Order: sequence, then structure tokens, then C-alpha cells
Amino acid sequence: MIPGSWEMENGRKILHAPSHSLVAHLSDREINAAIIEACRQGDRDAFRALYDIYKDQVYSISLYFFHGDQAAASDVTQHVFLKLMTGIGRFRGDAEFSTWLYRLVVNACMDAARRRKPAAEISDRHLEMFAAPDSQEEAYARRQMASSVRAGVSALPPKFRIAVLLRHFEDLSYEQMAKILGCSMGTVASRLSRGHKILAERLKGLME
Amino acid sequence: MKIFTRHVSRELAAYFDGELMRPTAAKVERHIGQCALCQAEYQQVQRGMAMVEQLPSVVAPDEIWQSIDVTLNAEPREKQIWQWALAATAVLVLVGIAYWRAGLGSGAQWDVVRLDGRPVVGAKYISGTGKIAPGEWMETDSSSRAGIKIGDIGSVEVEPNTRVRVVTAKPGEHRLALARGEIRAKISAPPRLFFVDTAAGTAVDLGCEYSLDTDENGTGLLRVTKGWVSFQWKGLESLVPAGASCHIRSRIGPGIPYFDDAPEALKQALAQGGDAALSTILGESRIRDTLTLWHLLSRVNPNERERVYDRIAALTPVPAGVSREQALRLDQETLKHWKEELAWTW
Repeated sequence: MIPGSWEMENGRKILHAPSHSLVAHLSDREINAAIIEACRQGDRDAFRALYDIYKDQVYSISLYFFHGDQAAASDVTQHVFLKLMTGIGRFRGDAEFSTWLYRLVVNACMDAARRRKPAAEISDRHLEMFAAPDSQEEAYARRQMASSVRAGVSALPPKFRIAVLLRHFEDLSYEQMAKILGCSMGTVASRLSRGHKILAERLKGLME
Repeated sequence: MKIFTRHVSRELAAYFDGELMRPTAAKVERHIGQCALCQAEYQQVQRGMAMVEQLPSVVAPDEIWQSIDVTLNAEPREKQIWQWALAATAVLVLVGIAYWRAGLGSGAQWDVVRLDGRPVVGAKYISGTGKIAPGEWMETDSSSRAGIKIGDIGSVEVEPNTRVRVVTAKPGEHRLALARGEIRAKISAPPRLFFVDTAAGTAVDLGCEYSLDTDENGTGLLRVTKGWVSFQWKGLESLVPAGASCHIRSRIGPGIPYFDDAPEALKQALAQGGDAALSTILGESRIRDTLTLWHLLSRVNPNERERVYDRIAALTPVPAGVSREQALRLDQETLKHWKEELAWTW
């Protein structure tokens, strides 16, 4: 079981928290109540627990969004969690915590993307530098596949790219994604359809 | 039924993910069964989704938490310093009085550096590096540029033909007065520590990078490249995020901010004003231009306000907690909440 991963149980989302954390098997809404209240009171352990649960998802989305640029992904991850900690007093609890968190992620990514020069948009060299830890042990074909997909995702327009990454790394409903992305559910559906279609067209032959 | 005589490209991902209502899903399924084009596209979407499944989750480096921890630890130390400072109030008051008497009550000196030409501080040319104290003016001619280090929080580049004065140089308030010309500020600090006064109002840093130019009458432009800037004049405020600009004018204050990539027609209409202009602004605005529309809400008459509200509502769903009535009444809490929600698209 991977710490921080999700599983469905009786129709409810169950979180596999890190072993040292006190938040094992809490639903997203229960995290709001238990952990966020502790974070509000300045409980550093609670914040660390929250960080441990979400850090890899936030970092992965940022990393793939920024074409394998580890520095940019680290900056976004740090920025998001600092903003989360300093702003947690304003979190009203009337939305899922993950909706709020991923809004911060999307905002940070899109904001940073606007500031980046177009030349920095695609870098295959960067993509080669962040192969998954176990990629050395995988077959050549599998590595090639993952590498090609990373490059393909990186080449998607930012709004399609972030939607595709949110769908992949978080088990979010379209309604949640619409709230996160600030658009309608129809727009979410459209961006996901077009994003995945573009990807398949560009990587034609890869999975045949 | 009629709607599904068209292709269903937009719905394919939602259909695959089980996000469509049952009747809609059934119609999409029927259409895919009859339409070779949509069937092929559906297979492409599925292939694309299968490809993305190849992307593994990446473990965040430990250094990220270490950086966060260091930043969070800095806060209690600051609190301790303030507690210590309060305990030493009597001493500070005496020191403060001495500073005021010495004419240095507005803080310490800042480092300056010549970038081009012959910038002047007071009556002295800066040939390499120098200092500037509160109350002193820096002036550049058409071929001069200079840099000012703003305490520990950032720097300002002073462009040619600029006249700028240091007003306050204290840890809690760093303030310049820009009489004319252009400055480029890069500030890395908590919000509301750096201010630039102009004849049209005050630019308040909210953690950002920006350029600000003005003529001697106070007419100019604020352009933000990173973070946010608030421009304020007599209770009127424009919030300008990265990628947006805002015109400023004396006795009018900040104009309506707009994104630099907004449609040209929208930007021209903003400059013109009037009824026809409002129609153009509303017609041309994109979701992102709700930045402009949100600011317009409180600056147009009640009839026009309804049109602005309707346009924002048409561009992006009105969030819970925002009602039409409250928004049209310009209820401050409602507008603030709405702005926070809209800001995710800015």
C-alpha cells in the first residue's frame, strides 16, 4: 500500500496515510475536521502529516506540468504548502480540502507557466532527467513509452495539460475539477477529451 | 434527441469516466455506435488515457520540506524579536527621539548602484556605488539608470528621466515617492512592506515584480509581471495580478485593470469609456477578463452593474455565498468572496 494513495471502500474514498501519521483511514472531509483544525492551531505535526499525505501528488503534477523541471516543481510544491499553512485559517470547510489544495496547485502552475519563456516550454533533456526511480529496471520499451508519454503530455497546451494531470494523479470528480479549474464541467470534459485525443494522435503507433 | 445529431467529441472523456447522467450516456453510446468518426475519436481518447497511465508518481525530494520548515521556523523568531523589542520600549523611544532630532527619523540609508550614465543622489553623481537616505532624491537623465537596494526585501531599478525620493526606510515600511519617470521593482517579502507614492495614488506591494511609470501630472501605467500589486487612492483600489496592467491618473486614481493579453477591442473600450464601450467590454471579455469585470462592478451605475454581473455569471459559475442581490448592492464581503473565487482564473 502506498502512503498517501486512495482506495474506494463502500463507495467512500479512503486515504492510506503515512505509517507515522495519526490520520490513517480518514475521508477527505474527516481530514478537514481533524487535521485542519490542528493546523489552524499551529500544530506543526499536523501540518507535517498533511504535507506527507499530499506532497508526492503535488510534486508529480508540478513536475510533469513543468516538463521535468525539478526546480520549478520544487518551487511550486513549497509555495503551495506555505500558502496552505499561512492561509488555512481562511479555509471555510465548505468545500473538500483537496479542492482547495489543488486550486492552489493549479494557480501556482498556471501563474508560473505564464511567467516562463516559451523556449522553456518543452525540454526533452529535462524530461530524461527525472525518470521514475525504478525505470532502470524496466524494459527498454517501457522506458521509451514513459519517456514519450512525458514528452507528449509536456507538449499539450497548459489548460489541457493540467486537466489531464489532475485526472491522472487525483481521483477527482469532474465537478471537483470544474471547481478547481474555475470552469464548467462541460469544459472539463472537453479539455480532457481533446487533451487525450491530441496525445494519442501525437504518439500514434506507441501502443499498437 | 436533436442535440445528439451532432458529434459527441466533447463528451467522450466524460462518457469513458462515467461522468455523464444515464440518459446522456445512453445517447452518447448510441451516437458512437452509429458514427464512425466519433467511434474513432473515442478510441483515440481511450488510447490517450491509457498512455497517461504510464506516468508514475514521483517522490517529492526531502529538501522541499526542509525549506518549508526553515521558513515556518523563522516566524516564531520574529515574534520573539518583537517581544524583546516591546520590553525595551523605553530605550527605543529615547533612541527614536535622537534619530528624529538627527533628521534620520524615517529610517536607514539604502545602497545604490550606477547602472548607466550619471545618476545623481542629492547633489552627488554616483559613479559606482553609494547611499541614499530618507528625504533624498535620486534623479536620472536620458542616458542614466541606477539601482536601489530596498533594505533586505528587494531592489528597484530607476530608468532614464526619472526622479524618485526615499520617503521611509524602516523594516516595517519601505516607501518611495515617484515624481516622474519609471521604476521596476522586484520585492520578495510579505505583503504591504513596500510602497510607491505617485501623484495618482500609492502602489502597495503584495509580494511581486512590477514596473510603474508616471509623468509629473500623475498619468501613468502600472504593469505587474509577478505576484500582485494593489494601487490605492482615497478608498479606491485596483488589484493587479501578474500579466495585467492598470492606468493611473491624478485625481482619478487607479483605472480598471486588464490582462495584457486581453482582446485589443476590450482594451480600447476600457480607455474610451461610455455606454458603447461597456457593450464592447462585455462582449469581448473572456473568463480571465473577469478581473476587469469584477472591478467594473463597483464603478458603473446600477443599471450597468446588472449587465456586468450577468456577464460574469455567464462566463463562470457564480460560487456559493454570492447572490445577485448582494453583489448588485455592492456588499463588500460578497464582492471580496467572489473576487477570491474568480481570482483562480486570473
